[in-house]
Amino acid sequence: MSTPLLDRPSALPRECVAPLVDLVVALADNKHALGLRYAEWCSSGPTIEAGVAATAMAQDELGHARVLYGLLEELPGAPRRSEHEWVAADARTVAFVNAPFAGWPHLIVANLMIDRTLATVLETALESRYLPLRQRARKIIEEERYHAIHGQSWLAQLAADSPDVRAQLTAGLRDIWTDVLCWFGPADGGSLRALVDAGVLAEAGDAVRSRFIAQLAPVLDAAGVPAPLRGAGGRWDLAEPLPWDRWDERARRIRPS
Amino acid sequence: MQTIGDEPVYEVFARRVEGEPLRHVGSVAAPGDALARVYARSIYDEESWLEMYVVPRRAIIAVDDVRGEAVDAHA
Repeated sequence: MSTPLLDRPSALPRECVAPLVDLVVALADNKHALGLRYAEWCSSGPTIEAGVAATAMAQDELGHARVLYGLLEELPGAPRRSEHEWVAADARTVAFVNAPFAGWPHLIVANLMIDRTLATVLETALESRYLPLRQRARKIIEEERYHAIHGQSWLAQLAADSPDVRAQLTAGLRDIWTDVLCWFGPADGGSLRALVDAGVLAEAGDAVRSRFIAQLAPVLDAAGVPAPLRGAGGRWDLAEPLPWDRWDERARRIRPS
Repeated sequence: MQTIGDEPVYEVFARRVEGEPLRHVGSVAAPGDALARVYARSIYDEESWLEMYVVPRRAIIAVDDVRGEAVDAHA
């Protein structure tokens, strides 16, 4: 017997509403901020083609934020958000997107890490029982394929450029590392567990983090960019513990120490 | 390592609907096939293309000689 779809907010189990609101706000706020940061490179990319690609990714991210904000309008208790009323100070964003990127290598780190993290979490909603989320996730993931190719190709190119550029990539990666790796939630998924139990998401926590690491590690390894990962027998694990004592589950970011 | 800004050129071809011939829509410079695909999609997105292809310009073979022979045959 197939599980019935949840086609409207009132059909959601009560315990799912607050975690879903928090997740959608954080997804959309980070996408909106990332779109603004990409847009700053529209006319200053390393080549004309790179600038146009940054523009297209900015449009995609701002568009994804808009459709995700649309989800919030239907959910009870959700904060008011729209692309026209966006206030950076209220946004639940990771620190890396709160200021302009220091250079093109930092844009590529954001592309490879933040963009990919948000997409990996949305992939867990591709078969969601909550129809409004599932429909939006499918459209977003289709466009994200090109963002992934962009990030991986540019990482390889920049890493082969010079020790200075490789050092910038390594520094950017170190800045974003814990925010991104914690984004999937604690081992059991934390607040996202209720969404997994209700079939709103397929997985959360360690299961999704492992998939993200399995895709990322070979890319970094091939480019020769160091990261706190340990590989053995085709399996990659974190080489350092994550700072869960500073993790803000609601805003989905690390509190400053 | 290729210098940024001095990359190979890819020609971009696309068709809008089934049965329509592929047509040349422009070109992009990219360090490799993967980024050429990304750039072609970002730059030539003014239409909803049914199919789009990038071809390294170096892979395109001039047929000037053949054309010359064909003209000769009808001389």
